[in-house]
Formats: sequence, C-alpha cells, structure tokens
Amino acid sequence: MQITRSGLVGLILAALAILVLPMLAGGQWLKIFTSTTAFALAAMGAGFMYARLGMVSLAQVGLMGIGGWVTLRLNHAFNLPFEANLLIGAAMTSVLGMILALPALRMRGLYLALITLMVAGGLEIIFTAYQFPNGGDGFWGVGTSFSATMRRPFLGQTDAGFLRYALVVALLGFLLIEGHRRSASGRAWALIRRSEAAALASGVNVTLYKTWAFGLSGLLAGLGGGVLAGSLGLLDASTFRASESVLLFALVVVGGARFWLGAVITAVLYRVAPGLLNNWGVDADLALVFFGAALLHAVITAPDGLAGQIFGLFSKEAAHDRA
Amino acid sequence: MKTTLLFAGSLMLSATTALAAPSCGANTGAAATGTPIKVGGIFGNAAPGDFSASTTAARAYFDCVNANGGIGGRPIEYLTENDQWNPELAAQAASKLLKDEKVVAIVGNGSFVEMAVNAPLYKEENVMAMASACAVSECFESSNIVSTNQGPLPSTVGAAQYMVEEQGAQNVSCIGLAIPNVGPWSCGAMEGYMAGKGLTGSSVLLNPASPDVNSALLESIASGADTILVNLPAGLAIAFLKAAEEQGLGDTYKWASSTPLYDRSVPEALGAYWDGKMFINAELTPWDKGGPDATNWLAVMDAYAPAEAARDTFSQSGYLSARFFTEAMLALDPAKLDDRAAVTDAIKAIKGATSDLLCGPYYVGEADRHMPNHAGTMVVVKGGGFETVRDCYEYDSPYFAPILEQEKALGLR
Repeated sequence: MQITRSGLVGLILAALAILVLPMLAGGQWLKIFTSTTAFALAAMGAGFMYARLGMVSLAQVGLMGIGGWVTLRLNHAFNLPFEANLLIGAAMTSVLGMILALPALRMRGLYLALITLMVAGGLEIIFTAYQFPNGGDGFWGVGTSFSATMRRPFLGQTDAGFLRYALVVALLGFLLIEGHRRSASGRAWALIRRSEAAALASGVNVTLYKTWAFGLSGLLAGLGGGVLAGSLGLLDASTFRASESVLLFALVVVGGARFWLGAVITAVLYRVAPGLLNNWGVDADLALVFFGAALLHAVITAPDGLAGQIFGLFSKEAAHDRA
Repeated sequence: MKTTLLFAGSLMLSATTALAAPSCGANTGAAATGTPIKVGGIFGNAAPGDFSASTTAARAYFDCVNANGGIGGRPIEYLTENDQWNPELAAQAASKLLKDEKVVAIVGNGSFVEMAVNAPLYKEENVMAMASACAVSECFESSNIVSTNQGPLPSTVGAAQYMVEEQGAQNVSCIGLAIPNVGPWSCGAMEGYMAGKGLTGSSVLLNPASPDVNSALLESIASGADTILVNLPAGLAIAFLKAAEEQGLGDTYKWASSTPLYDRSVPEALGAYWDGKMFINAELTPWDKGGPDATNWLAVMDAYAPAEAARDTFSQSGYLSARFFTEAMLALDPAKLDDRAAVTDAIKAIKGATSDLLCGPYYVGEADRHMPNHAGTMVVVKGGGFETVRDCYEYDSPYFAPILEQEKALGLR
C-alpha cells in the first residue's frame, strides 16, 4: 500500500507525539493534550463525513457523550478492563449513529444539519436530566454521594501513560478512516458525493454506505467520549451541549475537513487555545472571537481550511492526497 | 476646653483605627521576604454562580500574613485557578497546582465541580485541601478534603429544622440544582429529615445550564408544600424569589434558604417585599455578632481585598481556612515548610481550633470524611439587613452520626 507524503508526515508526527509529548508536558498540559486527543477523534469523524459525503453532522460532541456514558456505566457496573468498556461504548455509539442516520438519509445539506442539531439538543436534555453514571444504583447509575473509581488501562495508569494511550487510539482512528478511504467504501462515498443518482445507477447501495459513514463517525466520537471519561473519571453534561457540537463542526471547517491535519488543528483550536488563554490569565471565552474570525477566513479564502493552506505551502502534491 | 475635646476625639479615632487594624499570622508588621511557600486554591466562577469569595478572602488573609512576617519570614505565594464549573478545567487546574507548581496545600477552594473531580488526586498526591465554599458530597466524604463551610446538606437540613420547629412547617419543597452530588444530595437529606419527623418533603431540581425559575416555582407549588426552601446559588435564588414576588406568593408560603443568600447585598437585592419573610441559614456566625475573628475578617477584607469583593459566608470561610492553615504552618518546623507530606500531617493534626465565626470547634484528623462545621445560625431578612432568630444550634439528622463519633474519639464532644 502506497504511503502518501502527507501520510508519512502524519505517521512520523504521531510517533513523535506518542514518544515525546507525554515526557515533555507538565501535569496541566497532560490533561489538556488528552482532552485534545479525545476531541480530535470526534473531529475526524465529523470531518470525514463532511469531506467524503458532504454530510454535516452537528451532533458529534453529543455522540461523544454517549460513548462516555456507556464507558462510565460499564466501568461502574462490571469489572471489565478499560479497553472492553471503551470498545463497547464506541460500538454502541456507532449503532446509535447508524439508527440516527436512517431518518436522515433522505435529507441533504441544511435539512440534514438541522436534524443532527436536533439530535444534539435532545442528547443535551437527556444528559442534563439524567446526568452521567458515577457508581450509583439503577439503570442511570447516578449516586448522590462519592463517585466510584474509574479504572484506567494497564498501560495508562498515570496521566502521561494515559495520554500516550489516547494518542495510540487516535492514530488507530486515523488509520481506520484512511483504510476506509482506500477501500470500496471510499470509492462508493466519492461517487455518492458527486451524484447519488449516478451512484445508484452504478449499483452502489447508497443507504448502506451512508449509514455506514454515520456509524463510523459515531464510532470515532464514542472512542473520544470514552477516552475523555477515562481521563477525568467522571463527566458532566455541560461538556456535551449542542452548542459544543456546532462549535466543533465550525472548527472542523476552519481546520480543514479533507486532511488528517485538519482534525488535529480542530482539536488544538478547541482545547489547546482556551488552555493557553487561561494560562495567560485571559478569559478563555475570548477564543470564541478568534474562532469566529478564523471561520470567516476559512469560508472566504481557505475552502480546504488551515490544513489545506499548510499542505499547499509545503507541497504541490497535496492536491493528490485529497479524496 | 476645645483642645481637650479635640484631643479626646483624636484618641477615640486612634482607638477605632487600632481596633480596625488587621491582625494576621506572626503579626510582626514586617514584610516577608524569603523564598515563597506555594499554596493553591481553585474556585468556580461562571454560570450558575461565582464562588470566588472564598479564595478572595483567603488571598486577602495571606497578603496580610505576608505583610506581617509571613511564615518564618517566608511569604505565601497563593496561586488560584478558575474551574469555570467545568470538570476538564477543574482537573487541569489541580494538575497544574499539584504537579507543575508543586503547592504544599490547597486552601480556600470554592466550587460545585472541582472537589468531585479532584478528590482522588488529592489523596494520590497526599495533599490536604482546606476548602471554604464546598457544595458537593465529595467535600465532606473524602480523606483529603476538609471544608470550613458546611455545604448545602447541613445548611438545608438546618433551615428545614428551624422551619419545622419554630415556624410550624409541615410540608417543605426544596429547590436545588440538578447536579447529583449537590441538589439531590442535599435536598434528599432534607426529605429524609422531614420523613423522620413524620412530615413531608419533596425536591424540585433545576437544570444548572438553563435554569427555569418559573417552572420550578410552579412545580414547587404543585407539590402541596407550605414551605419553600431555596437551596440555590445567590443569583439564581434571587431570580427565583423575584418570580415568587411577581406571583404575590410571599405571604402564601413560608420561605427559607440555605446559606448562599446570607450576603450583605441580598436584602437590598430582594427589596422590602421579603422583609421579615425570608429565613436564611448561616453556616458561619453572623458578621455583626462581634468577636475577634468577625472584626478581624472585615479588617483584613477592607485592607487587602478589593472594595467590591463579597463579604459573605464563603468569604468568612475563606478567611478562616487561611487562618487555620497559617497557624498550622507557623507551628511547623521551618525546615519542613516545603515538604508536602509534613504540611499535610500538620493540617491533619489541627484539633479543637476555635473561632467566634464558628459555632463549634474546627478539627481535621485522620478520617475518611470531614465535616467539622455542622451547627449554624438562622437569620431573617429585616430592615435592609439580617436579624438573628436562632443562635448556634446543632442539626438533627442521622447523616451526622459518624461525624459525632469522630468528635467523641478526638475528645471534642
């Protein structure tokens, strides 16, 4: 299998990040980078749906909440290892993503975006009303007293180890998308993006491949939610508001949905920029102003986002790496 | 004669100034200049409320200590972080303070979120958090957090107890926030108290992200309650009471609140409508009760805190946490001031410390739970201020049984 230049750069950077980042980062930045990695997983899901199929998902952070909820619930209910909780959480988010996709399949553009936004709003209400499991009794698992312990993976007991673990999960997520892009699914998605009628005429099962895309995007969001739950030990509804999903999607556009680097830039803008502002003693909400300006910049001058501009600067071959 | 009067006047003025001069730490009057001792603090300031009064007061006291000899000549460097009610930011703040800045203790914390996220980290890092504005169960049910304030559970139970015993309440509706270890925890204990007395209690929980006070009010009325107990941050509680005022419900129900409404600005914000109607539990003693700490707290705030800083229960609590911490540090071997384990041991050794701001003794001890402050005062909004209606009283709930056992074991009871 041929490795593109940008792919090679990505793999080298991922290896460097996995090896070096946990060693260099202090306590606060270990937490920030772990959150960043979790949101990078969600961002790559939203980016891939937008870039490959032209579908706008405004429920990605809400779906992260599902992954986090299931991971926490399993952790407190059974004595399964973290990996099992994480994978089951991601799989259930994926299934939910597919179920949500079914009524959305006939919609395109704005209407599809609105449906996903309503889903995000519904999830926000459910999370706020029922909260996240903390080791309590019953189906919802919410106790009013002390939170139970969240088990972490064997290789991620410390914050540094857990960041390394999260980065490996994110790398696997990227490879999963790349694998799909190069397979029959990728070709089917490319055809659907150009024309659903042409895809149907060519014998592509549009329903299956669209649903599969939603499922894959949900899987990545679920992984992100599970990683976040493992990092913090408990989750709060405020993290998974519908407005956060909208913000994440806007940053996906800013970062560049077509490239792996776009998801990284999205997550860095989403979590590292507010962290830096906090450290400088500036209100982190100021980041929203920068995000607004960046979105305008992306819409007006950079349709491929910041990642497109960066790749464009370094290599004329970037165009070949696009879908 | 005129000269004598002037002289007498000057003397009185000097005496008043002397009384108002803050007294802190070693009280040497000389500024500390040595290597700073790093101490951390985490507060929450975003919707649904600002809990920074505790860290502001703790900072004021530490500034006063630094201007008065510090700890053996070394100043306290007080590093504070805002968790913005966000678990991610709370975890980042604690990691920054404990792992990057390597603070020897956490003092004056005030949050809904921080303690729930960071309680395991405090234990793991063997650091003691002397919190001041705690509102979640983890503050009172973990080994490495001790709070000077009572939190919503005792304050709510105490308010309900007063309303039952002195105002004849039969059915109390508690208005709390839908955060499991805050609203359901504290309002649930109030329901337990009412059930234990053969009376009725119920809870109405608001979404902290988008609280709808009108719906909560209607739900509360529908419960058939005769008493409405507001257990919300001050800003939200005032909004709730304004909604009740618009409906003209002030005289139809009995009204009570947990401690957040015990703030100097509240009577003016509520207006004359609530005069004599609103009964509030104060977790610490009323600020006009007098006494060395009550006077010194205000003097420290006037001298070292911004003029607009809140002078409320959380501020009193922040001042006291900082004072108890400073005294423990002053008693510690100067060679061990940077040794977190030694500082933690010194804090855990605090026993039987007293203050006129507290109804009982303050202690820490080696235990899985800490709640040294579980007796309070009831006040009523009156004449643009507050009037004490029941002085220091112990709360009556099975929740306090293990705490009373601890106090017996420590010889405090």
